[in-house]
Amino acid sequence: MASSSGNDDDLTIPRAAINKMIKETLPNVRVANDARELVVNCCTEFIHLISSEANEICNKSEKKTISPEHVINALESLGFGSYIAEVKDVLQECKTVALKRRKASSRLENLGIPEEELLRQQQELFAKARQQQAELAQQEWLQMQQAAQQAQLAAAAAASASAGQQAGSSQDEDEEDDM
Amino acid sequence: MSEKSVEGKDERGVNNKTISLPVSRVKLIMKSSPDVSCINQDALFLTTKATELFVQHLALSSYNNGSGKETNTLSYSDLANTAEETETFQFLTDILPKKILASDYLKSLEQMEEDEEN
Repeated sequence: MASSSGNDDDLTIPRAAINKMIKETLPNVRVANDARELVVNCCTEFIHLISSEANEICNKSEKKTISPEHVINALESLGFGSYIAEVKDVLQECKTVALKRRKASSRLENLGIPEEELLRQQQELFAKARQQQAELAQQEWLQMQQAAQQAQLAAAAAASASAGQQAGSSQDEDEEDDM
Repeated sequence: MSEKSVEGKDERGVNNKTISLPVSRVKLIMKSSPDVSCINQDALFLTTKATELFVQHLALSSYNNGSGKETNTLSYSDLANTAEETETFQFLTDILPKKILASDYLKSLEQMEEDEEN
């Protein structure tokens, strides 16, 4: 569903995500397909709107990076001030989640295992995995070979059986001639 | 960095404290805006959440404004009407050709073709 044309203007939020949100907002309401398509495009438009406004505010503040403050001011000036409270809440939540994640990863670092040791263990695991793969591949190859051999034997047996029958019948003919 | 969404793993209904839209996609769209260079990660989260609220807001307003309540449907024209009538949604009128229905457009196309043949 995502645009593959590579044209920046065709970038949109994935349709599925929008559908889900609409469903959650308006449960039990039927939504026309062209209406859904429209909402997808409105999203893109909204993002551009906020980005441009925030960008202007950012430029005026002589900073190079658009900050949360700029976005909040943009929302306010564009008439979406009612979003600000909830949006700020989410920001707080995101920061908490990010913080937890950082703590979790630093706990890993604090196990006391130096990086070289970790690397060595990783290499070992990779080598083991490669070996297992190779063994598996070899087994499969052997099995295939055996199966092929058996097939050959079976074919040869069948061929000689039918050849034997033919030989038998030609012998009969000879006997008749002799008489 | 390329996390698709920041979410609380416990889905207690509609959890307003999380983000459902893909942050990376929002970033791509923002960057395709002219002149936009660097965006702080937190600013990105804010924009994503704001976009979600926008979708909800647009859907609800359109539904409440339009004839949807009787028919229990949300149609293209509901959205288009709301965009036209609500000040904060007026930026959408550029991408909402309101008055032409697909069927009317097709009719006018057929008309044009007939005219050309004649």
